[in-house]
Amino acid sequence: MIRLPLLSTVIKNLFKKPATNPFPKTEPVPVPENFRGKIVYNVDKCVGCRMCVTVCPAGVFVYLPEIRKVALWTGRCVFCKQCVDVCPTNALQMSDEFLLASYDKYDSKFIYVTPEEAEEIKKKQEELKKAKAQAKAKKDQ
Amino acid sequence: MNLVYALLGLLGLYIYVSVMSLLFAGIDRKLVARMQRRIGPPILQPFYDFLKLVSKETIIPNTANFMFKVAPVLMLATTIALLAYTPFGFAPLFATKGDIIVFIYLLTLADFFLVIGVMSSGSPYGRIGASREVAMLVSREPAMMLGVFAVMWGISKFGVQKPFSLSSLYEHNIWELGPMAWVAGAILVYVFMSWLASEIEAGFFNIPEAEQEIAEGTLVEYSGRYLAIIKLAESMKEFIAASLVVAVLFPWQLNMPGIQGYIVNLLIHTLKVFIVLFVAKTIFRTVTGRLKISQAVNLLWTRVFAASVIGALILAMGVSL
Ligand code: SF4
Ligand code: SF4
Repeated sequence: MIRLPLLSTVIKNLFKKPATNPFPKTEPVPVPENFRGKIVYNVDKCVGCRMCVTVCPAGVFVYLPEIRKVALWTGRCVFCKQCVDVCPTNALQMSDEFLLASYDKYDSKFIYVTPEEAEEIKKKQEELKKAKAQAKAKKDQ
Repeated sequence: MNLVYALLGLLGLYIYVSVMSLLFAGIDRKLVARMQRRIGPPILQPFYDFLKLVSKETIIPNTANFMFKVAPVLMLATTIALLAYTPFGFAPLFATKGDIIVFIYLLTLADFFLVIGVMSSGSPYGRIGASREVAMLVSREPAMMLGVFAVMWGISKFGVQKPFSLSSLYEHNIWELGPMAWVAGAILVYVFMSWLASEIEAGFFNIPEAEQEIAEGTLVEYSGRYLAIIKLAESMKEFIAASLVVAVLFPWQLNMPGIQGYIVNLLIHTLKVFIVLFVAKTIFRTVTGRLKISQAVNLLWTRVFAASVIGALILAMGVSL
């Protein structure tokens, strides 16, 4: 005797609505709280303590000694959130963003602090230093 | 002149059956998806798949011999030739006395061509698929042959014009043979449904193509145009096999004269084929997994062929008593 235990379920299913989310036509399934999406880096808050470089298992960070900041390539990130937990100034945050497909692995959305931006930051820092030095010199006079 | 009309009819049937069988494949996929609470592909998906396969690059393995390229074409050609002997709600185009033999011959020949093509590819996975296909082929056909011959023999007792022709199925049917034949008919419904499921390799019998087991089995080396041809031929064969089941067991048609009578009967027949395929393919493949090849062969001989023998004997008793 053949038993077909699925038969009744399957026939019932035929008259139910599909239990799927037709994504491009609708919003994706909402993310939960504390979802670990793409890293967001705030250059201005970073003090260059290098904690993130130490703790990251995937080698996302490169320390830039001249400007005392870090550069990121999140293409390698494994979303473990260790850098966020360890950063003393909250310069690193996790966002909700998870639709990260790209044609190019060096897409600008994966990179924070490109060499050009590093140059600019360097210039700004130097100007700031000069201004400070001048201010000091004025004071001393 | 008659021959020209017959050839035109064959061409028309070829186009009609290719469209309808691919359409049913689409409906089938949609229904299976809905049974699993998915949305499923659009109904016209098999047509897109076909066009995509035709436009793809066709790769011929280095180890393949010339039969690899010829077999798919021969398979499709056999299937098209088979259309001329298939009942589609009206008598087959080339119906003659005893054409059931041609029908069975061509139906199995198409599978043999597939087996030969796969064997010629040189892939050991293909060989495994092919040997399974042959084992299934040998095991499933006797049950169907016995059933069909018994029914046709019973019908020929009414004194039909062309005994043992598929056209005789529309003159009388087995349900007119009295209460004994009803019992036999019920058994034969089971036999023919099992045969159809094993012919189209659905559910239990999805063994030669067993995707997850032996890397697509029979179709492992085919790509591009040849794969498209094989897929089309297989889906037409599905329609033809279901047509036989419908013609043998449920041949009730309208009696309308003229050309529109043919068209109406063809549409009624198509509807019946869809219903039969819905049970034997769509539902069967959703609710069951596949058997092992040894289990399937065993099942076909002990459960299906035995039932066919019993059905034929009861039918014979009903007719002669
Ligand atoms: S989340 Fe983990 S892998 Fe990604 S940058 Fe931070 S420490 Fe590295
Ligand atoms: S841990 Fe935070 S503050 Fe320290 S270097 Fe990394 S990003 Fe900058």
